[in-house]
Amino acid sequence: MKEKHIQHLYRRIGFGILPSTLQKVATKSKKHNVNDLIKASKTYTILEVDISEIKDVFGGMMMSGTKIDNETRRKLQKISRKKQVELNVSWINRLASTSELLREKMTLFWANHFVCKDNSIVYIQNFNNTLRTHALGNFRDFVNAISKEAAMTKYLNTKQNRKQKPNENFARELMELFTLGEGHYTEDDIKESARAFTGYSHNLKGEFVFKKRQHDYTDKTFFGNTGNFTGEDIIDIILKERQCAKYICTKVYRYFVNDQVDDGHVNAMTDVFYKDYNIEKLMQFVLMSDWFYDDKNIGTKIKSPIEFLVGLKQTVPVTFKNKKQVIQIQRLLGQTLLDPPNVAGWKGGRNWIDSNTIVLRLKLPSLLLNNAYISNVKEGKQDAIMTQKKEQFKKKYGKRFNTQTNWNHFEKHFKNVALQDMDPHILAQPVTKDAKAYLQSLAKLSKHEYCIQLMSLPEYQMC
Amino acid sequence: MDRRKFLKQSSLASSLFFVPSFVRAFEEVASSKLGYKRLVIIQLSGGNDGLNTVVPYRNDLYYKARPNLGLSQNEIIKLNDNVGLNINLAPLKRLYDKGYVSIINNVGYPNPIRSHFRSMDIWQTASDSNQYSQSGWIGRYLDNYGKQSHSAIEIDDSLSLAMKGESMNAIATKDAKTMYNLSKGPYLKNINKHLADEHLSEHNLGYLYKSMIAAESSAKYIYETTRTVVSKKEYPNTKFGKQMKTTAQFINSHLDTKVFYTSLDGFDTHVNQKGAQKKLLQTYAESVEAFVEDLKANNTFKDTLILTFSEFGRRVNQNASVGTDHGTANNVFIIGENLKTQGLYNNMPNLGDLDDNGDLKFEIDFRAIYATVLDKWLEVDDKKVLNKSFSQLNFI
Repeated sequence: MKEKHIQHLYRRIGFGILPSTLQKVATKSKKHNVNDLIKASKTYTILEVDISEIKDVFGGMMMSGTKIDNETRRKLQKISRKKQVELNVSWINRLASTSELLREKMTLFWANHFVCKDNSIVYIQNFNNTLRTHALGNFRDFVNAISKEAAMTKYLNTKQNRKQKPNENFARELMELFTLGEGHYTEDDIKESARAFTGYSHNLKGEFVFKKRQHDYTDKTFFGNTGNFTGEDIIDIILKERQCAKYICTKVYRYFVNDQVDDGHVNAMTDVFYKDYNIEKLMQFVLMSDWFYDDKNIGTKIKSPIEFLVGLKQTVPVTFKNKKQVIQIQRLLGQTLLDPPNVAGWKGGRNWIDSNTIVLRLKLPSLLLNNAYISNVKEGKQDAIMTQKKEQFKKKYGKRFNTQTNWNHFEKHFKNVALQDMDPHILAQPVTKDAKAYLQSLAKLSKHEYCIQLMSLPEYQMC
Repeated sequence: MDRRKFLKQSSLASSLFFVPSFVRAFEEVASSKLGYKRLVIIQLSGGNDGLNTVVPYRNDLYYKARPNLGLSQNEIIKLNDNVGLNINLAPLKRLYDKGYVSIINNVGYPNPIRSHFRSMDIWQTASDSNQYSQSGWIGRYLDNYGKQSHSAIEIDDSLSLAMKGESMNAIATKDAKTMYNLSKGPYLKNINKHLADEHLSEHNLGYLYKSMIAAESSAKYIYETTRTVVSKKEYPNTKFGKQMKTTAQFINSHLDTKVFYTSLDGFDTHVNQKGAQKKLLQTYAESVEAFVEDLKANNTFKDTLILTFSEFGRRVNQNASVGTDHGTANNVFIIGENLKTQGLYNNMPNLGDLDDNGDLKFEIDFRAIYATVLDKWLEVDDKKVLNKSFSQLNFI
């Protein structure tokens, strides 16, 4: 398999590939590599922070049947907020170090599809792991699991959806955002299907509870069918629509292949997916297809803030002394994990980039990894004041970007790469002619400094 | 084609292509000659308790619902025989007496949502309560009428959804100098200089280069325009006070910015509300008074309209912790020099006619206020921004 194509594969289903790993897999065929990736994601590893403290309180209350008092609630909320930060940081670390690469990237994809947010660390952690468990599984099981998640029944008010007073929020978004897309259902379909999801609720621990007395057992008419439908029946009926498979395939295509949809390719994907809604098979089909590796699909997507941050971490491991700074940086870049803007999620693509975020993205590699230093010494000269400049920065801004970097890791994995061959390992697109000319006019101090120069280019924003 | 028209059209072009800065300089001369109206939005985050802000101090139902939390007559400043302001709003009362304030009561939207993030989302995107939008109302104003991203500025580190459009986002900055320093640097400048036209074609990398140039140009413009104006006015030494001071500096330097966005957080007063809310209202009122005086001294108040809102009001009944829970309709303050309706715009809420939750029923859709501001103040087509038509109000 061509190196260029392996790099493309890893940039899309992961966050890039180190030269040392590339060397190992370059001799294998496409089929071999794709199968290896899929095999590595057959398993899943739950992501969790220690929430025993909260669980104990919940457990005790469920046993004794007592209600939560205000003081306990506030205490739990405080712990919950702290733990959400921890979960966010663990998730970022997971993304940068996982062996279940495809599964983790899919989890990230689904987190912006089945969008949800909750104050409770218990419920949101469960939700996050449900995304992970089903990320490559069967889409039907996935939608059903999501519909029964405590965080989701809270977020889209299924909890308040009762026979006497239906709440249509979940039913509407189920069709508009999760399965069919706007314009493929009627207002009546929403009203009728909302009645099928009545009684969905959860207990304190976040386990699904079906409240029979709140469920509407009378007939519903949905997509031309009439019957005493349950929520599961409704999902079955929705999935019978080819539009559902097409809607998901279009989203997968946009995320993994190209912002610009190719109808032919999406149609071919839909043929595969509609058969049994098997997500793993769909991904295998995409990654095995020739068109996935077309030049027009390589290096043409704009990285999401998380792809940018995790990619950076993968090349040069960096940890923050203050965990809140990890959140702060995500916020400044416009994508904070576990904190989506609303159920429609992040827009993505060009929308990641604005006057604030582009400037930050160009400066962040040097700020986080190199004490804000980007060498611009002319060829043939020495950078005498480099160390001095770095020290100055550390004194001035050290607190704001209090990071620890592991350049040894970089040196180790780039050992067999000559400085002049580094470009394709760092960038998904060749450096534009003029930027190249500028780079060539500069002194080649070290692979380390050259890496920072490359990461500070707009080209580094592409994947 | 006359000169003005030419300049206007070239300003349109500048958002699409990189226009040399000398052309942009002309364009600013042209626009500063026109009446330049600005909007300042103040977001009170957390759900401000409207009933203890604008108080129906003769209403028995109010005191019945709030035996410990209701404000007595010596905790308010009377506006008339029935209505008073929270005593810590004294600075606002002074503005009120000058006719600079219009208080719109019972503002909300149909099928209210009592979740902070969702209700804030609705206010920021101007969507119906069962719709989700990925763009904010000021963002869409920018999409349609913004010349560049600094046409709207949020005085903060990052952007609210309100300020993000479909194709254009506002600028977020607390400090023009920091932003400017971040955008420059010899390395980036040289990358910039080596830019060829091919980068500006319509692919994603071209878009990045274009954004980089626009960002640098905006940062430079904001920094260079505002650095000479230093406000001598004293503001409360709080985050919000600083935001208002920065906003005043930006306005008084005649920055080519139509909308400014600021926020004051902490209004989620479930517990022991009285003291906490009073403190916040004091910060709010003192900052706003200083801000108005600052603008008046620089003759910019006449062209500035201030809109204050919160994502919801609070439950009429106090709760067991002498606080209030999430509610619905609330009051909105409009502050400006030549208001059509000064003082109380409409009646106080009817505490005898609450919804099933014991919350106020809304009377005025908040988007009617947006529509009025867009049409009558910013003089643009409100329907294009709100994607819907709302009957307008009469405060400006």
